[in-house]
Amino acid sequence: MAFVKTTPSMARKAPLSEGTLLGWLRLNLFASVFNSILTVFVLFIIFFTVKALWIWGIADAVWVADTRRECFNININGACWAGIIAWLDGIFYGRYPRDELWRINLGGIMLFIWMAPLWLPRVQGKILVGLSTVALYPFLAGYLFAGGDKGVFMQIMVTAAIVALAANIANAAIGFFINGNLPDFIIRSIRQNEAPEARQRNILLAILAALFIAVFVWQMNWTVEVVSWTRWGGLFLTFVIAGIGIASALPGGILLALGRRSKLTVIRVLSTSFIEVFRSVPLITVLFMATTMFPLFMPEGFVLNKLVQVIIAVCLFNACYLAETVRAGLQAIPNGQYEGAHTIGLGYWKTMGLIIMPQALKHMIPNIVGSFIGLLKDTTLVSIIGLFDVLTILRSISKDGPWLGLHQEALVFGAMLFFVLCFAMSKYSRHLEAKLSTGHKN
Amino acid sequence: MTDTKTQDAFKAREQLASAASSEVIIDLNKVNKWFGDFHVLKDIDLIVHKGERIVICGPSGSGKSTLIRCINHLEEHQEGTIIVDGITLDKNLKHIDHIRTEVGMVFQSFNLFPHLSVLENLTLGPIWVRKMPKSEARANAMKYLERVKIPEQADKFPGQLSGGQQQRVAIARSLCMNPKIMLFDEPTSALDPEMIKEVLDVMVELADTGMTMIVVTHEMGFAKTIADRVIFMDEGDIVEENEPNAFFDNPRHERTKLFLSQIL
Ligand SMILES: Nc1ncnc2c1ncn2[C@@H]1O[C@H](COP(=O)(O)OP(=O)(O)OP(=O)(O)O)[C@@H](O)[C@H]1O
Ligand SMILES: [Mg+2]
Repeated sequence: MAFVKTTPSMARKAPLSEGTLLGWLRLNLFASVFNSILTVFVLFIIFFTVKALWIWGIADAVWVADTRRECFNININGACWAGIIAWLDGIFYGRYPRDELWRINLGGIMLFIWMAPLWLPRVQGKILVGLSTVALYPFLAGYLFAGGDKGVFMQIMVTAAIVALAANIANAAIGFFINGNLPDFIIRSIRQNEAPEARQRNILLAILAALFIAVFVWQMNWTVEVVSWTRWGGLFLTFVIAGIGIASALPGGILLALGRRSKLTVIRVLSTSFIEVFRSVPLITVLFMATTMFPLFMPEGFVLNKLVQVIIAVCLFNACYLAETVRAGLQAIPNGQYEGAHTIGLGYWKTMGLIIMPQALKHMIPNIVGSFIGLLKDTTLVSIIGLFDVLTILRSISKDGPWLGLHQEALVFGAMLFFVLCFAMSKYSRHLEAKLSTGHKN
Repeated sequence: MTDTKTQDAFKAREQLASAASSEVIIDLNKVNKWFGDFHVLKDIDLIVHKGERIVICGPSGSGKSTLIRCINHLEEHQEGTIIVDGITLDKNLKHIDHIRTEVGMVFQSFNLFPHLSVLENLTLGPIWVRKMPKSEARANAMKYLERVKIPEQADKFPGQLSGGQQQRVAIARSLCMNPKIMLFDEPTSALDPEMIKEVLDVMVELADTGMTMIVVTHEMGFAKTIADRVIFMDEGDIVEENEPNAFFDNPRHERTKLFLSQIL
């Protein structure tokens, strides 16, 4: 059919777009009558909640007082934050001796220094930094926190950790300020860069050995007083349990996941049953079993303290959960990746470590961080078997003479604490995901 | 195809083929393979000489991919012997690893490593398998990227390249291992028509260097240019085998005739 246009089309004003605030409001909040009612209703609820919280938590709150009664006298409608402030040391450090708190702080600072290079630009060898954090830092920090006599093994590990920390700092400084890495820098500064590779390696090993011996001799005279694990508590204890749990659950989970996919029947059956048993039991049961049944399996006279038992239980439990997460990640990797790796001659471990795992873990970051967040929150369960984690301390405030009955403030504070930690972790995982994406299409 | 350069290249290939024809590099003897109950490869006999270029074609499902995947042991055969570069493929993992470093393979779906840059894709094998120093591996990789004509893409990630470029990176990745044999499994059938030529050009150049090549493809023009022999497979059998001109102009087996009439 033929068609000839006779009247010109008139220009009209553009429809309300999402570009303007008014347009956005109209489209998203007031699109229909029902939508508008819902919006108004929700705003109403938000307004009253926030207002009530504001009055209770900030406007009418009491910040300085010596007892809860004093708080009431000043303003009975507000929160009594003075009690939380008085207990801050307890919340953070538990019943750790007050004169020895510097050890915990030093441990925290060392962790920060150890890991900071991971986020600094231009620093090389970040994988080693990450690995040494997991493999060596716990020994140094563990001794610092627990104190006492070092056995030979502990002496070696503490020495290795100190050497690693020193090398790490030097390497980070060199990478950040003048580009390059520590070994290259040493070789260049003693003018050996023309020397054959074997000779360069020997020089580096010699320096490393000398440093190791020097530190070893020094640390033999360095001891700190024993602090029994029963005095560990608060956020510090929560971090110790969650930290070790997080650091060991991922490697453990990877090994278990690989075991479950292994071609060797024995390994496969063992891994599978291990995973299934732990996953079908609640954590609290695992904790009880660890503290009551573990001693039964141990040789006569071998006593593990309760904290170590709990940490082992938390690690195994979370390794099993992560194993399933990792397995799901592995299944998402197409077969072609294995074949590509095999055709350039990579064997099983290199294929897994260089090709498959990096991709699977990248897919899995949100789930892995989700598990870590769960782990952090689950550590509060240790209160039930008598460890003084942050939640136990918060609840004990209400039983403390001057602050008798201070429940609400303590729990609100605990909620905020956990929210901040978990929210930070989940935000960071989003950031990581975006940073690691390389625009591939599969 | 009448300029002197191609003719020279053609002659050079003839010489290479005849000079090397004595040395057998791949020897398949009565190879049988089943997927479950399904008999995919039936008594396959195939001898490939050093420097020979073989094109395999045949209908879908005839076992072409399975055959060349057996050569670098991505698939395991159940009966018969496969000898590659003097080494018999058996359960010995050392042998398999060794053969895989000598045999490069290019897939229809590229199988590049998406989390590594192009340069890292190319240096991974030399560094971790051949233990080559990093700087040397990088120089080596750049040399092959030049050869496949995309040195400027070295720092990109595979996901940022076109299909044709990805396939050329895949070819370069295999060549970086300095293999003795190259296997190609339909390297151009996932590509848009305008990209097929750039990949085939690279493969023709590779053929000119005297590389031993086994190529599964339906690009008949390409087969005529480079192949010393064309093998036609159907239902797990090698049905016909001939030099390319005779194969295309004068097929003898009924099934070959039928197949060629369908694709030409
Ligand atoms: N892993 C496997 N398990 C079971 N059957 C398979 C497997 N791989 C291939 N097959 C079957 O074996 C037969 C041969 O497959 P192959 O991939 O070798 O064919 P092809 O000749 O390469 O076909 P195409 O041209 O479609 O690639 C097909 O029928 C296919 O369904
Ligand atoms: Mg195929």
